[in-house]
Amino acid sequence: MKHLLWIPLLAVPFVVHDNVVLTILVFTFIAGILAVSFNLVFGFTGQLSLFHAAAFGLSAYATYLSMIHLGISFWLGMIVGVLFVTLISVVIGAICFRFNLRELYFAIVTLAFSELIRLVILNWNSFTNGSLGINFTLTPTLWVPGRGVIPVTGTLMWYYLSLVAVALAVFGYSRIVHSWMGRCFASIRLNDELADTLGIDVFRYKLVSFVAGNIGAAIAGSLYSFYISYIDPNYFSLDQSLAIIAMALLGGREFVAAPIVGALVLTALPHVINVNAEARLLIYGLILILTILLMPRGIVGLLARQRRAA
Amino acid sequence: MLQLVVGQLLNGIIVGTLYAIIALGVTLTFGITGIVNFALGAFMMLGAYVTWYLSDGAGVAYPIAVPLAVACIALLGLLVDQALFRFTRNNLINGLIVSIGLISVLVAVVLMIWTTTPQNMHYVLPGVFRVGGVIVPKMKAVVFVVLLLVILFTYGALTRTWAGRAAYAYAQKPEAAALMGVRTGVLQAGVAAYAAGLAGLGGGLYASLYSITPEIGSAYILKGVEAAILAGIGSIMGSFVGGIIIGVAEGVGSIFLPSAYNDAYGLVLLVLILLFKPAGLFANR
Repeated sequence: MKHLLWIPLLAVPFVVHDNVVLTILVFTFIAGILAVSFNLVFGFTGQLSLFHAAAFGLSAYATYLSMIHLGISFWLGMIVGVLFVTLISVVIGAICFRFNLRELYFAIVTLAFSELIRLVILNWNSFTNGSLGINFTLTPTLWVPGRGVIPVTGTLMWYYLSLVAVALAVFGYSRIVHSWMGRCFASIRLNDELADTLGIDVFRYKLVSFVAGNIGAAIAGSLYSFYISYIDPNYFSLDQSLAIIAMALLGGREFVAAPIVGALVLTALPHVINVNAEARLLIYGLILILTILLMPRGIVGLLARQRRAA
Repeated sequence: MLQLVVGQLLNGIIVGTLYAIIALGVTLTFGITGIVNFALGAFMMLGAYVTWYLSDGAGVAYPIAVPLAVACIALLGLLVDQALFRFTRNNLINGLIVSIGLISVLVAVVLMIWTTTPQNMHYVLPGVFRVGGVIVPKMKAVVFVVLLLVILFTYGALTRTWAGRAAYAYAQKPEAAALMGVRTGVLQAGVAAYAAGLAGLGGGLYASLYSITPEIGSAYILKGVEAAILAGIGSIMGSFVGGIIIGVAEGVGSIFLPSAYNDAYGLVLLVLILLFKPAGLFANR
């Protein structure tokens, strides 16, 4: 039943021809992948990772740099990005969880690692062009029936590409969440000592959750960087992590797809009410505070409760 | 070379006390309210701006501007504690997220009023001390002495006064403290305001030494939290030593490595401490 909600999204470009609306939706879908994957770690496993923006940025850099230096296509570059992020996440996750870092300490150490990576990206000028970032003109290519292999350009193609990507992400993460592994994640979130007593390998499932979440961030990073054709160290910034947390919280932590609603609101907001960067920062902050204090279950959580009550 | 090392060592100690004052606030709020208030960095940044505004904008003498700024920030700390953090007591994740949200709000407000342009205050106390070949600006020495006195005062107040011992008792066992007549609500609000005031003081003194930008808050809160965890959260003098360690590591490290990597020392130290001695260097309680 829930899956039927995707069908109207396929038809949107036939009804809406406004380029701005479609662009907002492309950004929503890509940010949605980021928020949905973050929520696997945060909402479902209960670990506040501040590494998500770093996974996003690392993959963006790895995709572009591997394409330039190895001469490979975008899709192979994305695979390089995902593999690279997987490797780094396994190492960092293993360190954090082997030493049993929890709550604040986990958040701080993941933040420390992402800051260290940001410092390296920022200062390795010959490879990453430092704080200026890199503008590029490469595009992904796709095989389209009847038209052969064509570059992905224009809002319409990106719309369908990102829609398919976010749908696959939701599908993949809901399979994880609704499997036996998902129950293990929930048990860790609720009480990891008890989970351990019950014979659940807490270390392994925390690691799986952390790595699986970061893989989503990696895919989002590759797509996002090629949609805007630009990478810079701001991908790694704390503001980026903040935006991801805000999307997940605002949408709702309990449902796999709910963070996309948060992504939609936060992406569309600056366009609906025309505001500058400072005001946007202010709104992000207020949303974080007000969501936690007044609406801890997020928009979808609130709607779900009202429907149940009716 | 020796001069350079000694100079950087002294410089590191002075910057370290600025980290320490933030770390002290972090430790106090964590001990009493059970949350880590990342917004203390933003309070420090605001303290710097208010001091600069009072001193250069409104023409108040610097020694009066600083206490005024401290009072403003302490009041602000009290207000946000009662309006926001009161509802996230002992809920670490929620408190963390609210404080992160509060940082955005405060930074956004500062950006709207004073933009991103770095602001420089007039020289409050020009001149330097020369000891051997080592040069220490007078103002840096004053900042160090003031901060050191405030940290010692805090330590004394916590161990020697009734309110301080009440705070310690509360940190150990809130219910027992409440039964012994500690008014816990007042204590929590008071500590939140005091920690904010400490951050404001750090900011006010910072303003006399360096350029003020909206980003200083996030840099200093990160160092403050690093210092507090390094020492073992909950330890008063530990947070002082933790701040000094990070400051000195940065100062001396910048002789050997490009200063672009300055922020990395604290991070690396922090990760190592958390992995191998998670209770901190000076954990005793």
